[in-house]
Amino acid sequence: MAEQYAVEMRGITKTFGSVVANKDVHLDVRRGEILALLGENGSGKTTLMNMLSGIYKPDRGEIFVEGKEVSIDSPEDAKRLGIGMVHQHFKLVDVFSAADNIWMGRDKADFLLKKDRYDQIAEVAKKFGFEIDPRKKVRNMAVSEKQTLEIIKVLYYGAKVIILDEPTAVLTVQETAKLFGVLRRMKAEGHSIIIITHKLNEVLEISDRVSILRKGEYIGTVETAQTNEQQLTEYMVGHKVDLNIERPVVEKTRPLLEIRDLTIRNDEGAIAIDHVNFYIRGGEILGVAGIAGCGQKELCEAIAGLRPIESGQMIHKGDNIVGLSPKAIIEKGIAMSFIPEDRLGMGLAPSLSIIDNMILKNYRDSKGPFVDRKVGRADAEHVIKELGIVTPSAETPVRRLSGGNVQKVLLGREIKAGPNVIITAYPVRGLDINSSYAIYNILNQQKKDGVGVLFVGEDLDVMMALCDKILVLCYGRVMGVVHAHKTTKEELGMMMTGALDLTNKYEDKPAGIARDTNFAPDAAAGKEE
Amino acid sequence: MRFHVVKRENCPLWKKLGMYFLAVAAALILGGCLLLAMGVNPLAYYGRMFTMGMVGNKIAYKAFENYLKVFAPLALTSVALSLAFRMRFWNIGGEGQFILGAVAAATVAFKLGPILGEGLTLVVMCLAGMLAAGLYGLIAAALKVKFGTNETLMTLMLNYIALYFITFLGDTKADWNFYLDPTSVRPIFGRFADLASFPKIPIGKFGLNICVVLTLLVGVLVFVYLKYTKHGYEIAVVGDSTGTAHYAGMKVGKIVLRTVFLSACLIGLAAAFKVGTAGILSTNITDDVGWTGIIVAWLSQLNTLAIFIVSALISMLHYGSDVAAATFSQVDSSFANMLQGVILFLVLAADFCTRFRILPVQKEGANNGNG
Amino acid sequence: MEMDKLGVVTTFVHNIVVYNIPLLYGTVGEIMVEKSGSLNLGVEGIMAVGAIFGYIVGCYANSLAVGILVAFLAGALCGLLFAALTVSLQANQNITGLTLTTFGLGVYFFVGNGVKAISWPAMNDYANIKNGFADIPIPGLSQLPLVGRGLFTHNLLVYLAVVIAVVMWWYLRHTRTGLRLRAVGENPGAADSVGINIKRYKYAHICLGCGIMGIGGYYMGLNMSGSFSSSCWINGYGWIAVALVIFANWNPVLAILGTFVFGFFNTLRVSGSSLAAAFPDVLGWLAKVPSQLYQALPFIITAVVLVATSIRKREGSGLPASLGLNYFREER
Repeated sequence: MAEQYAVEMRGITKTFGSVVANKDVHLDVRRGEILALLGENGSGKTTLMNMLSGIYKPDRGEIFVEGKEVSIDSPEDAKRLGIGMVHQHFKLVDVFSAADNIWMGRDKADFLLKKDRYDQIAEVAKKFGFEIDPRKKVRNMAVSEKQTLEIIKVLYYGAKVIILDEPTAVLTVQETAKLFGVLRRMKAEGHSIIIITHKLNEVLEISDRVSILRKGEYIGTVETAQTNEQQLTEYMVGHKVDLNIERPVVEKTRPLLEIRDLTIRNDEGAIAIDHVNFYIRGGEILGVAGIAGCGQKELCEAIAGLRPIESGQMIHKGDNIVGLSPKAIIEKGIAMSFIPEDRLGMGLAPSLSIIDNMILKNYRDSKGPFVDRKVGRADAEHVIKELGIVTPSAETPVRRLSGGNVQKVLLGREIKAGPNVIITAYPVRGLDINSSYAIYNILNQQKKDGVGVLFVGEDLDVMMALCDKILVLCYGRVMGVVHAHKTTKEELGMMMTGALDLTNKYEDKPAGIARDTNFAPDAAAGKEE
Repeated sequence: MRFHVVKRENCPLWKKLGMYFLAVAAALILGGCLLLAMGVNPLAYYGRMFTMGMVGNKIAYKAFENYLKVFAPLALTSVALSLAFRMRFWNIGGEGQFILGAVAAATVAFKLGPILGEGLTLVVMCLAGMLAAGLYGLIAAALKVKFGTNETLMTLMLNYIALYFITFLGDTKADWNFYLDPTSVRPIFGRFADLASFPKIPIGKFGLNICVVLTLLVGVLVFVYLKYTKHGYEIAVVGDSTGTAHYAGMKVGKIVLRTVFLSACLIGLAAAFKVGTAGILSTNITDDVGWTGIIVAWLSQLNTLAIFIVSALISMLHYGSDVAAATFSQVDSSFANMLQGVILFLVLAADFCTRFRILPVQKEGANNGNG
Repeated sequence: MEMDKLGVVTTFVHNIVVYNIPLLYGTVGEIMVEKSGSLNLGVEGIMAVGAIFGYIVGCYANSLAVGILVAFLAGALCGLLFAALTVSLQANQNITGLTLTTFGLGVYFFVGNGVKAISWPAMNDYANIKNGFADIPIPGLSQLPLVGRGLFTHNLLVYLAVVIAVVMWWYLRHTRTGLRLRAVGENPGAADSVGINIKRYKYAHICLGCGIMGIGGYYMGLNMSGSFSSSCWINGYGWIAVALVIFANWNPVLAILGTFVFGFFNTLRVSGSSLAAAFPDVLGWLAKVPSQLYQALPFIITAVVLVATSIRKREGSGLPASLGLNYFREER
């Protein structure tokens, strides 16, 4: 063996039922380096790392730590071997304080809990270069605080190999920069870091080497200095992909949906959406950008009638839709598809068949007390054919389908109903590039048909290519509405973090209020932009 | 060799049934060993139990009639509970709902029986039982919908409140208490069998109680209701994902209330059947069907047909062991409870094998991997 | 006359403790089990199993300590069964618990009737048991007027229950293993990821908790002087304990208070009439209250508490977040 690696994985295979998550994967990490584990969503990165951290057991394969073959049967084993992982969904006990979350995993500690543990933890955190309030309960923490706590936790347990799963997904640009500073410092101290991501710019910025997975298989490892975005993309997706998403030019109509001065509270009673104005015309795609959890979910729910609003107006084709039931809003032709993190939480009933999911919104239409599944079957077969959904049959429960097909079922149903406004949140979440493009095409087709689309997204590159305009939210407030082809990523990033406010860019026209509004004219007096 | 446990996607039906069968067989063998230790021939005992004493019995039809008396309330209660369980509403309040249904039905029998005539009285008894039980079930459902109160713990409490209510009726000698036998000095429940009793359809000597027919009918109706109606569809969606149900414009609270009410109503109907057949109230009128029904519904995985099969088997165990206990005096009647416990423990263990798979960890693929 | 009245009150207070301490055992045991994230509805059955084995073996050995130990072990064995099914085999906790109740009561009567058929050990024949269960006044405190005899003159097992409750409170709150146990009950995924052995914690605490319930059952048997009849010694106390856990907000020390409150109604049922006779002017109405109301009151109160806490959704609820849910590490 030429080099002794901090960690080496050889021939790792892992299956879940009939799904092969990892197939004969190799991976090695040197001491004091940052290795990026690159791959699309669903390529098996997290599964692979979960095997290193003891959550899953490989079906076959070997793992070496510091040159010695080991068997990692539990997180306990991983911890003993100096491997720590910061999971994408934080593994923290909400009702415990920061200190207790760390303390509970400490191996050599007194049997008794003493008050000085708070100071001890704060001190150690300081030593690592972090400021935390050790007494603060996790449930009162912001996302970035939780992540910091997770990193301190892993360091505190003496991890030499630190795995971070999509650490930047929930962070602002500034927070990401700070995190990268921390990672570089840890690297300088001799830690090995594996960072899971699918964001190429971050890979190029932070890593020393890149290992690529595609559909569960190991593709290869390259030195970061000797590669570029184009090559990495090719490795990742297998073949060159046209990175340009089509943006057809379509005749726009008058505003279909206008939101004026809307304020919404979240489940905890805090203001989630704060006096927001915007409008959607037929034949345009309006993007909504913002850091995760900035009121996107609440906004979608409010428009769909699922969440009561605090104040403000929502006008659809001149009719007020505030206070209407979800059913009445569906009947007005407003379709909402929200893909939550678990993909199946809202919009689909996972145990039911595709047919039963097709009739979800129109099952009431048939006469009498019985459900008419004939219509559902016809719709299901149509959508399966039209969108190329891969499924054994229309009777297959939705949960058995792969992520892309699930999302196609959802969008297919929404489009089938012939809506005039589509609210879609994270429609490509977790999809591979080909499926994503299929979804973009569906949305563009709708746009051409004169539908107004609200696209709540995560990936700024995609939004800049697909959308006509982009509305930026920062903690529930509108930071401005920009033309997608004129803006830059930096500008959007600044607005998302609240560093830049463009709401009053044009003195004569506040952002988000249409000139040809359906509202009473006094509110919308204005000239050319 | 090391092992690890993984989830199984779907287990074929024959394999499942095979597993359950093995579990039951193993439990019977365990019980058999115990019987042997007591000096009882297990084959003779089990033979008596599973034939329920009908073989070589001149009045076998009587035994079968009695068996059906055990079977019908259990089957109906289990079907009823499965309705609520399908929405993941863990109604373990079957006992309490049954009691209130029984009391309401008995009230009708005592008070309206002399006025209405038997046929009408029976109908009103059923309706009253359903209404009382339904409303009682509605309490937990309303609290769950309105405040998110934990329904498992709430219905558990309501069971005992109902139990002490009926105990109160049975133990309190007073002028107003028409439930008691006026001729007795000690408080005992009075009979109303001569006022209202469910008729039997004679088939030879065997009398098929109309309640059994109605129970089967309700089973079919519930099956159709769940599978083909809009209500049934709504129950399926709510049970699968409340978020999705809201999103589709369903009024989830209303659906929960409606379904739990219906579920409790059917338990009340089972109670009305039971008192209408027994002709008397009793503090242990439920025969624990509220508890056993939960187990039956769960074992059947909420499948209506399976519920009937499983409740037939469990009733066989209960009733058969009573019969066997009469013959084998040295075996305590509590043996049935123990046996039932062992069977269920082993079935629970077998269930694990249908949901999970134990795999050995293979160590290879280190140097042969270039695919 | 005055002394008599005081005597009635003292006896009343004394009875609250004597007759309801098994509730404390059951509750504290169930708190331990539930804090590990498992909802065990088998308390009634486990107490019955602990009772019957503890009593019979204890008598044959003529030793209270052996009785306590055997009751604990019998309870713990039931816990082991529950843990094996729900923790290792991922069985539904409600179903397993209900089955355990049926099974436990079956074992209770089977063993009890079996022994009775040969010869039933009468508690009075075993001096060590009888004396071991006799009241031990706490020096000083027992001399206090009114409450001295009511609260501080009790048998060993009463003191043991209170000690267990206080120790458990301290254990959950002030020790590292207690912290880890709470983590397991709140978020097993998080606990697992920091290297806490979930299975070991669950097994250990389920067995320990069920063992404590077993001692509670044994107490019931002793308190009935071991007279075995067609109704079980436990007689619903296991279910009241499940209710009391909620009432006590999963806090073992509050469980002591809760036992007193529930016990108060329970005792009113039994000796309400003597209070009514002693204070006819003030408490005469007590004689008219039906005893079943007292029996139902613990459940009514718990139902009210359950509703009240769900309305307030307050921060300090001790309900473990993952109560009733099984943990499977490889869940995706």
